[in-house]
Amino acid sequence: MTDISKSKYKNYKADRSKYPKMENGKAVIDLDSHKFTKIWQGPQHPGVTGNMSVELIINGDEIMKAKTHVGYLHRGFEKLLERRSYIQGFTIVCRICVPEPDTNEYCYSAAVEELAGIEIPEKAQWLRTLNLEMSRIGSFLMWIGGQASALGLGAIGQWTIGMRDFWLDLFEEMTGGRVYHMYMIPGGVRKNLPAGFKEKTRDLILKTRKLLYNVEETFFNNAIVKSRLKGLGIITPEIVDEYGIVGPNARASGKEYDVRMNNPYLKYGELDIKMLTSTVGDAYARAELRYQEMHQSLDLISQILGKIPETGEIQTKLPNVLHWKIPAGQTYMKAESTRGEHGFYMVSDGTKYPRRVFLRGASYTHAISVLEKLAVNISISDLAALMVSLHTCPPEIER
Amino acid sequence: MNLKDILSPFSVWKRAVKKPWTIKEPINDRPGAENYRGFHKNDFDKCIGCGSCEEICQNNAIDLVPVEGQETKDGDSGLRPKIDYGRCCWCALCVDVCPTGSLTMSNEYTWVTDDPEEYRFIPGADETKWQEEKKGYKRSEDIQLINYDRAEMLEFEPKDRDKSFIEIIKGYNKEQAMAEADRCLECGICTATCPAHMDIPAYIAAIRDDDIENAFRILYETNPLPEICGRICTHNCETACALQNQGEPLAIRWLKRYIADQISPERYKEVLGTEHLADPILNKKVAIIGAGPAGLSAAYYLAILGYKIKIFEALPDAGGMTRYGIPEYRLPYDKIEEDIDYIKALGVEIQFNTKIGKDVSLDELHNDYDAVFAGTGLHLGRSTKIPGVDNKRVYFATDLLREVSLGNEIDVAETIIVIGGGNVAMDITRTLARLQNQKYGKVQIITTSLESEDIMPADREEVVGAREEKAIINPGWGPKEIEIKNGKIKGLHVVKCTSVFDNEGRFNPKFDQNQKKFFAGEMVVESIGQGMDLSYLSEDIKSSLKLGPRGRVQVNENFQSDLKWLFVGGDIIQGPDVIHGIANGHVAAKAIDDYISKNM
Amino acid sequence: MKKIINRIKEKIEIVSLKQRDDLYFINVKEEHIIFLLSYLKEQEGFTHLAFLQAVDYDKYNMFQLTYMLYNYDIKVNFGIKVIIDREKSEMTSIHKLWAHAWQYQRELHELFGINFPGSPRVDESFVLEGWEEIPPMRRDFDTKEYSEKTFYQRPGRSTNDPKEYMKEKLYKNFVEPPKIRREDD
Repeated sequence: MTDISKSKYKNYKADRSKYPKMENGKAVIDLDSHKFTKIWQGPQHPGVTGNMSVELIINGDEIMKAKTHVGYLHRGFEKLLERRSYIQGFTIVCRICVPEPDTNEYCYSAAVEELAGIEIPEKAQWLRTLNLEMSRIGSFLMWIGGQASALGLGAIGQWTIGMRDFWLDLFEEMTGGRVYHMYMIPGGVRKNLPAGFKEKTRDLILKTRKLLYNVEETFFNNAIVKSRLKGLGIITPEIVDEYGIVGPNARASGKEYDVRMNNPYLKYGELDIKMLTSTVGDAYARAELRYQEMHQSLDLISQILGKIPETGEIQTKLPNVLHWKIPAGQTYMKAESTRGEHGFYMVSDGTKYPRRVFLRGASYTHAISVLEKLAVNISISDLAALMVSLHTCPPEIER
Repeated sequence: MNLKDILSPFSVWKRAVKKPWTIKEPINDRPGAENYRGFHKNDFDKCIGCGSCEEICQNNAIDLVPVEGQETKDGDSGLRPKIDYGRCCWCALCVDVCPTGSLTMSNEYTWVTDDPEEYRFIPGADETKWQEEKKGYKRSEDIQLINYDRAEMLEFEPKDRDKSFIEIIKGYNKEQAMAEADRCLECGICTATCPAHMDIPAYIAAIRDDDIENAFRILYETNPLPEICGRICTHNCETACALQNQGEPLAIRWLKRYIADQISPERYKEVLGTEHLADPILNKKVAIIGAGPAGLSAAYYLAILGYKIKIFEALPDAGGMTRYGIPEYRLPYDKIEEDIDYIKALGVEIQFNTKIGKDVSLDELHNDYDAVFAGTGLHLGRSTKIPGVDNKRVYFATDLLREVSLGNEIDVAETIIVIGGGNVAMDITRTLARLQNQKYGKVQIITTSLESEDIMPADREEVVGAREEKAIINPGWGPKEIEIKNGKIKGLHVVKCTSVFDNEGRFNPKFDQNQKKFFAGEMVVESIGQGMDLSYLSEDIKSSLKLGPRGRVQVNENFQSDLKWLFVGGDIIQGPDVIHGIANGHVAAKAIDDYISKNM
Repeated sequence: MKKIINRIKEKIEIVSLKQRDDLYFINVKEEHIIFLLSYLKEQEGFTHLAFLQAVDYDKYNMFQLTYMLYNYDIKVNFGIKVIIDREKSEMTSIHKLWAHAWQYQRELHELFGINFPGSPRVDESFVLEGWEEIPPMRRDFDTKEYSEKTFYQRPGRSTNDPKEYMKEKLYKNFVEPPKIRREDD
């Protein structure tokens, strides 16, 4: 595991003798003094994860204050869903998040099914599990590319995004769509696996593992990466609950919380899966943890491929979806996305349309409260790496 | 910092000699996957323009537009989906919901044009390079968004019903009716096909909302005989139902019956808002000849308009052919009475056992009433005119059915042959089978028709039902001669019928004289069609009417004859079936109202 | 979980509902919310606040606020539902209990118009800048009307209802159902 004692931040202490003036342990920021600069990182900035921006006040290259701004991506999904019937809604929830659309599909469909009292067939559950794990791989590959690029290792980004496209090819064959799969229809899934799919997937698992070892050689065993990520953005166990931190961000700080294991859904209860944690809590530990989770996902996919029943129904018969009314009730369905606990809170009032659908995304706190806290006193050049290491995804914030 | 961490990253150079992943060829050389959701295709031969795609589209990207060459006809609105690719999100819900399976997607995904209007296109009509592409997204057989299977209808088992005239179909309970009503797509294509143009989607929606009273009011808007129609309507609507393209059509008739059965007869007036109607409001009188569906329908719509109505009926009970032509196991008499009692309660008077032309003359009606509507129906049988039909043991189906309804005993033979393939033939077959069962304890009846099994005009369930009751249905034979020995019938000689209609669709049967068959039997019943009895029209009146082919009275679109006061409708004009009669009566009532108002 | 609910019942008046094995809901009164949340957080191990959200029941003139908690030990989600008045639309802030609660409160303030006095940055705009309409997540905000008013509609679209179209084409002279005549007509 990582060793913070070797980090440059270990004994870092800024010289506060001249400026800024400290009052009660906080810097007095007076922009008119010309000692501080206010700059915006984002919304159009290569070092920002998606469409958001961080308003920074810097002193030299040290960040004194950070404030997250969102609103560049507000598409009003929750409002749209109030005007869509239950079957129509399933086609738009995937659009909330590009890198990992399937978690949305699953949570939405599962919430509808629970409220409507529908059980989905065994085979559909396996196919959904497979789809979710594949989408986790897709999302992680995108993340690791971003993490490397944030440190200037552009080549790794090219490799992993390229590899992600091979996974998208598989999605295309499985679901009919590359990015927005619209696969998990309420009641089940839309298609059976195409012929030869399992073999192709197994081949790709090998190919991906090979690439991951290349990534390990060039990224994890890299003096620069280590020196920049170790000690960066340390999440202490105390603030995990305080800030509602979930997913790898929490697990890298020792919190044993993974929805797949804490509250097993679909077929995760039948898979051989182990909670991965770390105790260091810095950006490097998080990266390492995610790297291990990628291998875990690949392992899960092979497990699932071996367990999917050859035959069986893939959809429970629905009532006529054109006037499908769902009994009044509310529920919260959650799943583990690559960023952590991802859930849909759905309220039905017994009509054709939901009364309220709310998406709880992990980045909601990671990108605002947590980022604003962790960004203080780091170098502006590390901000991009910090954001990526929190794996923030603005679409979850504004939906 | 160890040395490995410094050297290891240089392994990045290993990949410099690897084959790149990127595709060198232009992008259109890389086809989409087998079930890729690409651009839309529509098979116009299958598409019926029901608009389910428009209904389910969450982006409002689909319009239904008329397309040149697509005719509006029964079961096809002639409209076709036009897709706005400025809005489409390629979710393929339209493909999954399409009840005909006509709408699919190709695996094509590149399309470049400088005219944005082109991206609003009609798949199937506008020429596209992917129209012939076989690959692409289609609805998987494993999933369905609409229900293609009917809710189960309970009926008496053959062994429990084949000895009596107990009603076979038990009717839907609430749960079944709700399930069946839920299947409706609300496209409304059936409404055009229904002769009465009943608002079928509206009353089915009312069932879904469990608002039976409203459903009942909707029925009476266009059909005052729901108990009757809910049981024995020819349900043309169901043949136009969008669901029948990939599954079973909606059981529209049973749903109508469900509605009518839920409201007890005492509540009719309250539910329909006619409590104030018991005596005529207007001082105008209309005479109606025949208490069949057409006459009753005309009487009802005139009655709610406040006219004083008197119906003259030759037989001792009302209902016309629905009573005297349809066996009780399909339509119990008390259900007919429910419909008729309500019409009577509106102040309509019915004088039974009165034959116009015999007991009262048409001229008298003309003098005493402001207008006359004649719906006298088809009560005479038609004959095959083959050798032997003049034997006394050869009957017409209509006559026998009437006798049974009147309660008269029939001399049922032990072995019977029925000629005919329509519903009447099935009715007489199943009626006689019951009587045989009662008398002899077994069924020996053979029904044969010109039409082969696949084109028999009878409803499928009737044929199946008759077979379940052990009658033999052997279609595809043309009757040639009835063999008679010593004045007694021995059986029927038939030859194979190879085709019934010629290429232009005209009745022109062809036979294969080499394939012969003999059906043994002591009694023959002909059921090949019915004729009308217009003897009540005096020569004087006949001469001022225009008569068409087969002696049909010619009427205008409002069923008004050349004698302005005489309206004629029902089976003698259109049909024969109950729903045409009802529709005719409705239209004629409106016309009579206009005619009388004009002359006031 | 039953025990926990019973312990709560001893303290305050609640209505509980089991949605599934790992999800429970309870309804509590507005004035008990701070006490209940602190109690659950400090003593019953519900340390994780998954979200705080509102549901608009405009017809009943009320908002329902849902605080979704999670207990890592017994692995159960617990939804606390509170009804507040829609006219007043104000609620006690819980930013002192969880460091990220202010975010939800700020969002609710902007999108539903629910105020949380004392919550940090609650007045700052969250996703909407320069918004002049009513808070958009309220049910009475009509998105379609707003977009038609605000944005240019590209012309050229028209559609037909199959039922009406077939009537026009096939049976134009359809006799509409007559109105039942009354004496005073």
